Amino acid sequence: MIRRARVPRSFFASLSQRNLITGPPPDLPAVHHTTSTGSPLPTPTPLPHFTPHPSLNRLMLHSMDDPRTDRPRDPRQLVYVDESQADRAARAGRMSSPLRRGAHESWWNAEQGWFNAVAKTIPTYRVLDEEGRPVKGAKLPQLTKEEALKIYKVMALIPMVDNVLYQSQRQGRISFYMQCSGEEAAVVGSAAAMRSTDEVFGQYREQAALLYRGMSLSRMMGQCFGNIDDDSSKGRMMPVHYTAPDLGFHTITSPLATQLPQAAGAAYALKTDDARQGDCVICYFGDGAASEGDFHAALNMNAVLGGPLVWFCRNNGFAISTPVIDQYAGDGIASRGPAYGIDTIRVDGNDALAVLAATREARRRAVQGKKGVLVEAMTYRVGHHSTSDDSSAYRPIEEVKEWTVVDNPISRFRAWLVTQGWWSEEEDKAMAAANKKEVLKIFNKSEKLPKPKLGEMFNDVWAVPRDGALPEVIIEQRAELGHLLKKYGEAWEPWRKELKRFVEQGEDVMDCDSGASR
Amino acid sequence: MRSPTASCLRGPALYSRRPSSAPLRLALQHRFKSSVDDPSTSQVPRDGTRARATPSHHSAQELEPSLGNSNLLKRTPEEALATKGLVFADGHGLKGPTGKGRETRQMNLHQAVRDAMRTALTSNPKSFIFGEDVKAHGVFRCTQGLAEEFGQKRVFNTPLTEQGIAGFGIGLASVGSTAIAEIQFGDYIFPAFDQLVNEAAKQHYASGGSYPLPGGSFTVRAPVMSVGHGGLYHSQSPEGFFLGAAGLKVAVVSTPIQAKGLLLAAIRDPTPTIIFEPKVLYRAAVEQVPVDDYTLPLGPTDEVRPGTDLTVVSYGTPLYTTLRAIELLSNPPPALVQFLPEKLRPPNPAPSIQLIDLRTINPLPIGEITEAVRKTGRLVIVHEAGKSGSVGNNLAGEVGRRAFDYLEAPIGLAAGWDVPVPLAYEKFYQPDVIRVFDKLVETLSY
Ligand SMILES: Cc1ncc(C[n+]2csc(CCOP(=O)(O)OP(=O)(O)O)c2C)c(N)n1
Ligand SMILES: [Mg+2]
Repeated sequence: MIRRARVPRSFFASLSQRNLITGPPPDLPAVHHTTSTGSPLPTPTPLPHFTPHPSLNRLMLHSMDDPRTDRPRDPRQLVYVDESQADRAARAGRMSSPLRRGAHESWWNAEQGWFNAVAKTIPTYRVLDEEGRPVKGAKLPQLTKEEALKIYKVMALIPMVDNVLYQSQRQGRISFYMQCSGEEAAVVGSAAAMRSTDEVFGQYREQAALLYRGMSLSRMMGQCFGNIDDDSSKGRMMPVHYTAPDLGFHTITSPLATQLPQAAGAAYALKTDDARQGDCVICYFGDGAASEGDFHAALNMNAVLGGPLVWFCRNNGFAISTPVIDQYAGDGIASRGPAYGIDTIRVDGNDALAVLAATREARRRAVQGKKGVLVEAMTYRVGHHSTSDDSSAYRPIEEVKEWTVVDNPISRFRAWLVTQGWWSEEEDKAMAAANKKEVLKIFNKSEKLPKPKLGEMFNDVWAVPRDGALPEVIIEQRAELGHLLKKYGEAWEPWRKELKRFVEQGEDVMDCDSGASR
Repeated sequence: MRSPTASCLRGPALYSRRPSSAPLRLALQHRFKSSVDDPSTSQVPRDGTRARATPSHHSAQELEPSLGNSNLLKRTPEEALATKGLVFADGHGLKGPTGKGRETRQMNLHQAVRDAMRTALTSNPKSFIFGEDVKAHGVFRCTQGLAEEFGQKRVFNTPLTEQGIAGFGIGLASVGSTAIAEIQFGDYIFPAFDQLVNEAAKQHYASGGSYPLPGGSFTVRAPVMSVGHGGLYHSQSPEGFFLGAAGLKVAVVSTPIQAKGLLLAAIRDPTPTIIFEPKVLYRAAVEQVPVDDYTLPLGPTDEVRPGTDLTVVSYGTPLYTTLRAIELLSNPPPALVQFLPEKLRPPNPAPSIQLIDLRTINPLPIGEITEAVRKTGRLVIVHEAGKSGSVGNNLAGEVGRRAFDYLEAPIGLAAGWDVPVPLAYEKFYQPDVIRVFDKLVETLSY
């Protein structure tokens, strides 16, 4: 049993004389946990002859008040601690008191101040209502007709692309697909708030951001077919695992949340690179991915180390079949931002204008403060999780229908465009027809293209400089396959059939006697 | 036990046994050739030209029939009940408690896994099943209906965190409960690696044998291996990473009967255990499975097929591939005859090939394999994982050391290449039927 050291009575007496926030009491025994000589400290701690300091008394009575302004706090009001990375650094120098050590700005409180949320409810910012009308008091973001139409055109194109690729998977023409259905406003609205020089770390459902940044349809479909147009991964990765360094779009990999700490690292690099001042990182992730340890590691690292970063959570209600009720018990993902000291906003993810405005402001704060900012976009995954999923097993189809009809992000934004006089039904119909033609044309062309050279299987495993030597293991195994292909490539029907799908039909690997052909 | 035909099929010249009195001379002869897997020994025309090949008269489908047609699967109740090592929990043996025998039912692999977990939940009120998406049915349907039947307190969704799931399971087991966790894909087991390798594997040792408390058990299930179009993150075989985790059992199941029996054995084993389930088998592998509560022993290997000329060891999906390759070698189609040396061609008798299902990969059943190889003198190992850091290399090293004097050919390893599993190239990444066939021929004709 640990017995507490006896605290001299003079200490308690001195308390009443002391200011509220002070350094450690001067005559507190240095060693707290000794096998003590005296009697244990009485608990709870009654303080004889204790006259509370007037300021302490006030705080005890109004523990909800802001201690710094003396103003009683509106319980619905959100707390904002205005602090940049620089302020944080300055704070380190003020850590003389136990109150300030490791806390923002605390105060002594004789009432047990339990809490499990930082605000009663976190509001959801929106600009347009479900019918596309500006809500009362809303300030519309500055947006030219051209910008607005660019957003809308991508929002309207992506369902077309998704549909064709989704159906093609059902017919066994591609191996897998994931739709962005229902989340068009969240993804395109946020993409539109970023700049072309920014870095994007995605999860996998952000193909619309990629389209917005200028990815061509043939490149996209090339990736999904894994054909010679697939400059993303040369046929190595599953569909929707895009890479586009020219568009600042980092490689999509399947393991969840791994992109988050990576984004924090990239943001730190931007912060410290003179040539990239003003650039920013955006990192997308889902409500499910936010449960991974990497999420917590990443936000904390970014908060501590700094670096301009917009954390963009697509809270679409599900992680495959797991509803958010099974995913977290707190107030969404937004409530976690303040825990890390990160500026946070929750936004209506089906309101393209609100997403745009919130992400713009997030980006502004991130760049200005060289820090992370969290945006939680509330939306709904209208499609199945992927082509491997059938969501009717875990959610009523009526619920899905309701979302597509009552709260459709595309029609909401379109309605606003129409009231602006920027768009019409005729234009919409013409665009849809043109889109359909274009998507199908590229799809058909893409499907006919062969796979890359078979030897691409062995390339890029190790980042070898142009004139550098490949590791022995690669040379050897490539040659082994080459010998086997020469031997059985024609006689063994399953190989003969499969080889035809590759450019050069495997000949590049069969040229193996020269050793390391790359 | 050898099949009666096996020994009379042996070709005397090629398979003459080494006289046990003179092992040294032969050992020396082989000393510099014994590599695990030397590609230079493959039978390729030395001039580097392509072999003049006769195109096959068989379709690809005929040559590589679907896994469900494999002879590995037991199609009758009699065959199923004759499974070696089967122990019924009620202690009544094959006659059953009524004396009327045991019932079997046709199940695919995911149904057999579900059946095992249902049995565990029924027989032990302190057992729990949890993981990502297990409440609805799990992405491979292994937990279908269990939440409804046993309630969401015992069968539940977890937040999406593998390290959390593994640690949670260790905690449940620590205080005497039975934790059965699902990691949705073997590819996503790595966030849990610390909990599994540093905690689960070491807990018993670190606590002086006191934790988990009595009754506590922790089992992790995870789907592994390829389906032909999974790419980097849905086709991996991560088992090699766990070979160094002393204290953590790892088994890979290959049939529905095993899936139920080994999983139940793991659930009742106080040692933490990972059961890897090859995902392509979930639906493809269908057989008769005993309905009652039974286990199969974790540890021993399973001899799928006896043989005297060559021992082939595999586990999981490639076991099917390997069996098919052996069948092709025993009865070569016209297109493949040309690749056989004279002695392996009809009308010469087909080689007698032993096939062993490894089943447990940690700890590796080295003794059993060594014994087998001492009898046949030749060993080929087949798995989907790449060679580096693999079961094959570990086994080859250990068996090679122990059976060195008995080896008549380098130990062959047909495995994935040491590259990430690439989507469009998966057909040529996997050790498929023809690659295994080639390795068998190479090793037999050495
Ligand atoms: C580490 C890891 N665990 C599990 C999975 C399997 N998995 C793929 S997507 C997914 C759900 C993700 O949900 P969320 O983050 O909400 O994104 P959403 O699909 O809703 O866009 C799961 C469990 C994975 N890819 N990676
Ligand atoms: Mg989600």
